[in-house]
Amino acid sequence: MKSIPKLIRRFTGIMLLSSILIIILDIVLLYIYTSRQKPNSSPWKTAEETASGLKYDGREYVLSGNIASELENSGIWAIFIDNNSMQVVWHTDNLPGTVPMSYSVSDIAHLVRGYIDGYPAFTGEAEDGLVVLGYPKKSFWKHMWPSWDYSLIANLPKTILSFLLINILLVFIIYVTANSNLLKSVKPIIKGIQSLPLKKHVYVKEKGLFSEIAISINKTSEILQSQDRKLQKRENARVNWIAGVSHDIRTPLSMVMGYASQLEEDKNLSDSAHQMAAIIVKQSGRIKSLINDLNLASKLEYSLNPLNLEKENMVAIARQVVVSFINMDIESRYPVEWQTDGNLTSCFVYADKNLLKRAISNLIQNCISHNPSGCKIYTKMISSDGFCTIIIADDGIGASKEQIEKINHSPHYMACDENTAEQCHGLGLLIVKQVAAAHNGKFCAGSSPYGGFSASLSIPLH
Amino acid sequence: MDFEFLKSKRLLIVDDEQELLDMLVSILNSEGFNNIATAKNIKNALALADSYNPELAILDVMLPDGNGFSLMEQLRQNGSYPILFLTARGEDEDKFQGFGIGADDYVVKPFLPKELVFRIMAILRRTYKDENPHVRLHDSEIDFDKAEVTKNGEHIALTAKEHSILNVLYRNAGRIVTTDSLCEAAWGENPFGYENSLMAHIRRIREKIELNPSRPVSLITVKGLGYKLVLKENK
Repeated sequence: MKSIPKLIRRFTGIMLLSSILIIILDIVLLYIYTSRQKPNSSPWKTAEETASGLKYDGREYVLSGNIASELENSGIWAIFIDNNSMQVVWHTDNLPGTVPMSYSVSDIAHLVRGYIDGYPAFTGEAEDGLVVLGYPKKSFWKHMWPSWDYSLIANLPKTILSFLLINILLVFIIYVTANSNLLKSVKPIIKGIQSLPLKKHVYVKEKGLFSEIAISINKTSEILQSQDRKLQKRENARVNWIAGVSHDIRTPLSMVMGYASQLEEDKNLSDSAHQMAAIIVKQSGRIKSLINDLNLASKLEYSLNPLNLEKENMVAIARQVVVSFINMDIESRYPVEWQTDGNLTSCFVYADKNLLKRAISNLIQNCISHNPSGCKIYTKMISSDGFCTIIIADDGIGASKEQIEKINHSPHYMACDENTAEQCHGLGLLIVKQVAAAHNGKFCAGSSPYGGFSASLSIPLH
Repeated sequence: MDFEFLKSKRLLIVDDEQELLDMLVSILNSEGFNNIATAKNIKNALALADSYNPELAILDVMLPDGNGFSLMEQLRQNGSYPILFLTARGEDEDKFQGFGIGADDYVVKPFLPKELVFRIMAILRRTYKDENPHVRLHDSEIDFDKAEVTKNGEHIALTAKEHSILNVLYRNAGRIVTTDSLCEAAWGENPFGYENSLMAHIRRIREKIELNPSRPVSLITVKGLGYKLVLKENK
């Protein structure tokens, strides 16, 4: 759920940025708009220009021609109030009849602030009087009492800024509340989706904005769970089946092996009968190792064999296996040579001792099985590149390049998901591969420098 | 070394399959074991154990009226003879359980008759070796009871470490014993780092048992792997 705070941060960031952008945009627009509105100040200017353009020529007042026409075009009337008489001594021709022709001081004060008969009035001071312009009704709105508390004006920037901040904060709160509600309903959905690959049972409450998605997630989880159960059941059944068969076969096979080896040693039997008995013993031995391997391989394949990992000296384990083979090989048909450097007496790995023993045994047994007429087996241990490696080589019949390629790269029929009748190697090597994989180690088959087959098993150093 | 006397020991075999019992008896008879009693279930086995006083018991794990592990515990209450499991249950956990309660060996079916006989003999040798404390080597004799070696009529005492090392070698006479196993026998569970001490002890043992310690004939080095004790009869 690390993505939720990230999502909130992103949402809030976008919101803040957009608020700031909107404010900047507003200021720019306001500036552009007000700059176009410059004529706002022009009534006063026009009034002053009119005042200065009004000249007394000794007989009467005359307004210069272009100002007069400008006023006329804009529908503005003008009067000139004489300072002494407080009477209108001059006016434009378009003066409405309702405009008074004489003014008191209070009238003047009133019109400066406001209107004459609804016409917005603007004044310009002339030499001995006052020019008053009357703009068309509703062309201007005038503030009648233009005075403010001084501190209000002085604090205006601060006030505006705090207003803005309060606005932003308000928007922020609204936004966060709205979003967190949304996120709150998204959260269980995300959690559900994240739990799906963990093979856990997932249930998301099927209500709120995303109830449809929640229903889909719950259905998916149910389907996954039931598939998983079926798969597990099938795998367990397969492993149990193999375990059961290999168990049940043991006692009858004991009798086959037992009687056959007695026949093999029965001095009253003919040579050919001895030979037949020997073959029965040998082949029963193969069945025996097959059922042993089959059981372990199937368990390792479906990870049903818990690893008992401990710090182990791989050299000691290998030595023990090698010695047990030497001790068993009474006829010396398979002499084992220990070629490990005498200085390498220990090589610690984190491993399951029994599995490691089994893997090394399988490698040696592999040499024996493929060389029925005997061979010499060379064992060597190396500690390098973070791995403890055992190399088992022989001078026997060896394997072709294609066979070695198959051993290294083709899956065994037990681990293969395609229908194949082609068996690339025995279960023994599959177990070695599985043991290597279970320990994050490596397995590699190749040709031995002594002419036969060679295989190596590497386990990471502890 | 003459181990023939071990074959006269009384064996008790418990397995629910009559045919397997017959075969085992036949195999063991042909190997010279003549005192064999068999039982097909726990009830009979316990009754037989009382009257027969076996000196070695071979038990199956899965029996019709219980399992071999509990049978073993009951047998052990009346006698301390060795017990070997012979069973179709080949899982590591089963083996650990068997050894965990003190079994002397655990053989998984199917088995080669020879292997079973070797294992039975090994157990008997280990258990009843005190009856035959003299070990004859090429140049000397070892008396494990007295912890001494007799060479050229001269008695040489063995130290405790030498005794335990020789003991392990003797119990596996004719077979290679790894340096790790020897170190473990002499120095206990965590034997790493004692290789040099072991070599020193082996040298001293050779001085005691060999006529020419630099050319040993009884205590042989198997390069890189371990040592082997060669008894006189084995030559």
